[in-house]
Amino acid sequence: MLRVKAGDLDRMGLLFERHYRALYGFLFHMTYQREASEDMVQTVFYKMLRYRNSFTGDGEFVAWMYQIARNVIKDNAKKNKPGTHYDAGEIADRLPGGTSADEGFEKKQENAGLHRAMAKLSDDNREILTLSRFQELKYQEIGHILGISEGAAKVRAFRAMQELKDIYTKMER
Amino acid sequence: MKMNCGQYEEKFSAWVNNELTTAERAEFEKHLAGCDGCMQEFTAMQQVWDLMGTIEAPEPSAHVPVKFKAMLNTFKESAEEKKGISIKEQLARLWQWQPRWPLAYSLVIVLISFTCGYFVFRTGSAGKQDEQLKALSSQVHELKQTMMLALLENPSASERIRGVSYTSEIKHADKEVIDALFATLNNDPNVNVRLSTLDALTHLASHPEVRQGLIQSIIQQDSPLMQSAIADVMLKLQEKGSVNSFKQLLKQKDLNPGVKDKIRQTITQLI
Ligand SMILES: [Zn+2]
Repeated sequence: MLRVKAGDLDRMGLLFERHYRALYGFLFHMTYQREASEDMVQTVFYKMLRYRNSFTGDGEFVAWMYQIARNVIKDNAKKNKPGTHYDAGEIADRLPGGTSADEGFEKKQENAGLHRAMAKLSDDNREILTLSRFQELKYQEIGHILGISEGAAKVRAFRAMQELKDIYTKMER
Repeated sequence: MKMNCGQYEEKFSAWVNNELTTAERAEFEKHLAGCDGCMQEFTAMQQVWDLMGTIEAPEPSAHVPVKFKAMLNTFKESAEEKKGISIKEQLARLWQWQPRWPLAYSLVIVLISFTCGYFVFRTGSAGKQDEQLKALSSQVHELKQTMMLALLENPSASERIRGVSYTSEIKHADKEVIDALFATLNNDPNVNVRLSTLDALTHLASHPEVRQGLIQSIIQQDSPLMQSAIADVMLKLQEKGSVNSFKQLLKQKDLNPGVKDKIRQTITQLI
């Protein structure tokens, strides 16, 4: 990343290739909006290009990327009119595999239920599970992104998982 | 659950994420084996965790890398533009930039080349030639201005950014251009467009009405990114007239704490 700062814009192309899918996954799980998430990928990278001089080199590029992404999500939520809430049931249809028939019906049903349960989590809880489970980040990195300690990240992840398990088992009954 | 079960919550998070050392892992599993409460709760949670692993990652469409590359190229171009580009190249770029108007452009370009040739052949006096070349460059200038104003109305944010970036090539921005830029700065729904507009207006800060407009814009911005960018600009311009607007902004209830700090700093540095 320090090389990008020095003006090596091509290096940003490589960083984009490496990270944009993960970034999209994060944005999607946090908003469940396909197109808006694609736009937000662009916005995040725009900001990294524009503010490459403010990147101090402290911490990882990935942490910086998610920090910007979290702000972009907040800006995006503010812009959306209040009341554009979506039904948790629709969400499963927007997810990969939701409409494709190549997977076993049972697994699809199971995933759809889990998606619905995830959609019911608070944003904070869904965020930490997305970062740890889907983005496969370590708690130390997650703590850095969220501005909390590694221990606090572990505790929050535990509570989030517990809540998810409770919602999910209630739904299955 | 037993009294000391709470300490295994953090351990559980680390355990499912494979972040325990072998010793810690053995200790954790030993507790599980001897504690029905934890065993039951953690096993159920681990099953959900495992199930999450079967969820496919959502895939972005192919537009995403294409749009990124276009943006990266725009950044590279603007880095090059700072080094200075000839009128001929600028015209060539104009041509590429607005494919919807190719006919109008080719006509103008043909007209310009024709007029050029005409002047070169016809005029003997160097002074007169100079004057005519000036008239010619003012035509090019007008063309750019028309084009910029049209781009600012475009529904696509990246087209509007192009429109904004055009102002750096307009030497004498008139009222119409300045008004259009402020309308964009204060109303455009896209924060990237607003940021680029702020950039463009900063370059025009020698106009007193631009400085005034920027100061008035301070309290109209609600995005933390814009608020902090505008603070940077005011500091760069050493615009003391902005202090009151910043103080007003500080009174807003939901102001981002980071922005609040920054604005306080900016005020101190300006006074
Ligand atoms: Zn226990």
